[in-house]
Amino acid sequence: MKVGKKKASLILVHLLLLVLVVINLFPLYWMLTFSLKDNDEIFGGYLKDDTGAIIYDASGEKIPVARNMIGLPRTWRWSNYTKALNTGNMGRYFLNSLIVSASAIIITLMAAFMATYAMTRLVWKGRKMMNKFFMLGLTIPIHAALVPVFLILSRLKLLDTYTALIVPYAAFSLSMGILISAGFMGDIPYDLDEAAFLDGCTEWGIFGRVILPLMMPATATVGIYTFLQCWNELLFATIFVSKGEYVTLPVGVKQLVGQHTTDWGPVGAALAIATIPTMIVYVLLSRKIQEGFIAGAVKG
Amino acid sequence: MKKHWSYRLSVFAFLLPGLILFVGILIAPIIMSVFYSLNDFKAISGSDMTFVGLRNYVELFSRQLANEKGTLFANVNYMGDALVNALVLGALSVFIQLPLALIIALKLSKGIRGERAYLSIYFMPVLISTVIIGQLWMNIYEPDGLLNAALGALGVRDQVFTWITSHIHSTKMPFKGGWTGYKETALIAAFVPILWQYIGYHMLLMYAGIKGVPADLLEAAQLDGCTEGQVNRHIVIPYIKPILKVCVIFAVTGSLKSFDLIYTLMKDTRRAELPSTLMYKLTFLNNRYGLGSAIAVVLIVLCFAFALLISLAFRDRGEKVA
Amino acid sequence: MKKFVAMLLAAMMLLSMTSAFAEAEKTTLTMWCIATESDANRPAYEKAIAEFEEAHPDIEIKWEAFENQSYKTKIKTAMSDPSTLPDIFFTWAGAFCGDFAEQGNVYCLNDAYKGFADQLPEVMMQNASYGENGDHYAVPLTMNIVTLFANMDLLAQAGWDHVPTTYDDLIACCDALVAAGITPFGCAGSETWCVTEYLEPMIEKTIGYEALNAIFAGKATWNDEAIAKAVDAFQEMIVKGYFDPDGLTLGNDQVKANFIAGKYAFYQNGSWNCGEINDAEGNFQVALFPVMDTEKATYGQVIGGPSDSLAVAATSKNPELAAQAAFELGRAICHYGYLAGSGLPAWTPDYDTSAVKPLVADVAKIVAESEGMVLFGDTAMSADPANIYLNYVSQVYGCEIDGAQFVDGLTNTLQ
Repeated sequence: MKVGKKKASLILVHLLLLVLVVINLFPLYWMLTFSLKDNDEIFGGYLKDDTGAIIYDASGEKIPVARNMIGLPRTWRWSNYTKALNTGNMGRYFLNSLIVSASAIIITLMAAFMATYAMTRLVWKGRKMMNKFFMLGLTIPIHAALVPVFLILSRLKLLDTYTALIVPYAAFSLSMGILISAGFMGDIPYDLDEAAFLDGCTEWGIFGRVILPLMMPATATVGIYTFLQCWNELLFATIFVSKGEYVTLPVGVKQLVGQHTTDWGPVGAALAIATIPTMIVYVLLSRKIQEGFIAGAVKG
Repeated sequence: MKKHWSYRLSVFAFLLPGLILFVGILIAPIIMSVFYSLNDFKAISGSDMTFVGLRNYVELFSRQLANEKGTLFANVNYMGDALVNALVLGALSVFIQLPLALIIALKLSKGIRGERAYLSIYFMPVLISTVIIGQLWMNIYEPDGLLNAALGALGVRDQVFTWITSHIHSTKMPFKGGWTGYKETALIAAFVPILWQYIGYHMLLMYAGIKGVPADLLEAAQLDGCTEGQVNRHIVIPYIKPILKVCVIFAVTGSLKSFDLIYTLMKDTRRAELPSTLMYKLTFLNNRYGLGSAIAVVLIVLCFAFALLISLAFRDRGEKVA
Repeated sequence: MKKFVAMLLAAMMLLSMTSAFAEAEKTTLTMWCIATESDANRPAYEKAIAEFEEAHPDIEIKWEAFENQSYKTKIKTAMSDPSTLPDIFFTWAGAFCGDFAEQGNVYCLNDAYKGFADQLPEVMMQNASYGENGDHYAVPLTMNIVTLFANMDLLAQAGWDHVPTTYDDLIACCDALVAAGITPFGCAGSETWCVTEYLEPMIEKTIGYEALNAIFAGKATWNDEAIAKAVDAFQEMIVKGYFDPDGLTLGNDQVKANFIAGKYAFYQNGSWNCGEINDAEGNFQVALFPVMDTEKATYGQVIGGPSDSLAVAATSKNPELAAQAAFELGRAICHYGYLAGSGLPAWTPDYDTSAVKPLVADVAKIVAESEGMVLFGDTAMSADPANIYLNYVSQVYGCEIDGAQFVDGLTNTLQ
């Protein structure tokens, strides 16, 4: 009796969890299906060929298409993808986002590890204060620095470059980076420092030979948090970069979508092209990504 | 003595990259923002900057404009509306999104079958670009979009529209399915995807915390005959309080600075204005750089204040329990 | 980190220097515009530039096109450091260009204009003329007015064989359309400038063009009961169901597509749509919004004027050459744009205009017979008042405020 009740409640839990799964996956499924349809299939209309000309049947009548908003496409219109790829430069946007995010991650890691080392392993007056100072950055909204950062970049003639995004992104990821690094670095036994010091290592030697190699797990965690911050950022990317060759993915997608506003198929295709690579990486590495993320929560 | 000096130097050298970034891109700009917010200028170079004291702040909360004689004229309170919207979003986030995330995290961490798969799927929206989510939901909310089609398929379309019409106060126009075209519905339409996207984020943070609860604590409680609910309430939740605090801070400050989704979802953000969208408009459309900076300063102050308040709230309760 | 930034800086300086010295023999003029590949004006720019380079083999035009919305930010921010400006840049006339001229960043075109005065009437230069002497600062390309496009097939279904020319007729026509199950108007509420395309003609046709000009120029206040009446009349049309309710959240592309597909009987928008609507399948005509107060306004009063323009940066190394090029390019872009139907000529045509599309020719006739012009409000006013005004207009379309509140708010805010 009790077992049965337990089983029933377990099924109920699974059912609820599955409903949530559907809520999470449905928008993606829908995006993929409408990316392969044309407006006539989505909203109902008349059958057309790839060029948009109406197809007539033998008796010269238009062929009505029933509305098919959420079903699988009846004709798989891959031409939507060619359209999306031809108007925008998705490959370029992707590469730009990758360059910007990767550089920001590297800079954040370097700066965060070094600063954390100075504040947790080296003994000096005011290191607690310094740590608090850095933690101020956790709550400062990135947008609040918009106008001044813009002016600084414009004075340095850095607008319309990768640097215009890399440096601000790194700066705004720094506090989180330090917070996480401090958690990881705290786990490294202090005996190691002392042993290395007795062997004649300087602070730099200890940092480079003892600490850095042991901080490798932290790179993944800091990297993930920084990536989440940079990859999707829109406001800075919109304002600091306007030249096509430096445009990042979010801005590129927004522009591309703007050129096909009335044509849902290519819009869906553009969205799918921008999403699929990230999803593939996520599916392949989801366990690692989650563990890194979780480690951040625990250490932070 | 010499060693001492070189030691200090290397401390400084270790801090230098972080300090340059942090001071150069965060602290200095904030100080500049404070300064800008006390001035009025419409050329971004600041060549026509005039000191106006706190007038930008007064104008922000009343959208008052000064004429040449310096007299202020009252109008609509744009910033007030935007702040109220952001606080409503924050409240929804704390009282709906976080509890939901907590319930899921509690269930999943009990070692349910498919735990990993569920985790992966719930976390997925966090990784999708907000621009894409915004565009996707725009297609859901379109007059011809999925939401209206679904209501039609369920046969409740007209009833829902009539019900909404009777609850809309910002306009006399009947609701006809333009979800982003009416203040009340636009706000809800914007909040749903924001809350949806980040449930997974909070869920994973809490899940991590729950997994860190020592097993012997749980076993002891179960031996004492505690039910699952009691264990959760008396052991798990108090244990993960630090993580809950972080989640609440993120949820509230995140709501205050939310921008991407609304900016993508609506061409005209007026009906679901948040402080950061208002700042963008006043800065880059109205060319009011001083006024935009004043919003930035208000945002920073609010973010700090809320972070502090939330920390205090969590500490107080923690002490009482102990 | 410091090293990294320094290296990046050095690398970038090197790059920019090499590109500057690469082509020393030819004079290079740089140009920014908004004729992106999806823009209707793109072919006109391409042809004009090719023609110019052929006529001047020693000059090379290096041009870049930016998306409209981001260009506005781009050009404003480039003004913060004028050395980053190109020689020639696209601008809208009115206060948009006026702000830049006021900052001293635009090269005065008075001298260069003398050579083109016989092809470009001075009145066309007026919208980008500032200061006490009315110095000229930008070369107009095409000009555009707000026009009322009508789908004659749909009007016929409601028993109308012509576009109504009086306000009472228009209302009667709309009632007939609604009775026949046809939506009279479509208007994109998510892009507020589209709402002004309806509201501004209605205000002009109520208070007259001189009064509206004075208001936009800041010489008179909005405090006029007649404006409130015009706004109320607009809202009455909305409440009576003359406007597609979906329009509230749609963008202009969608509304235009709906009109062309036969979903609305009327579509009031810029004359730059003439080419596209002319080429679409269907029976379309073009007209003006009828007069609402016959004592103050006449049918021939229009909203519009030359706005799309080219300006020369004050920091240009070859300002005289750039000015010359701006005029020649402007003339050619106007020529090809007119023939393509993406605008009306600000320049007097000296070429065969028989190939001009019929709908475009009709609008050209309307302009030729116009009895007064008011530049688009958001172009005429400077950025801050323009956006406050747009905010109120948006509230009007959503029926969130009525005419009295519109007038009250604008009177007090835009003192």
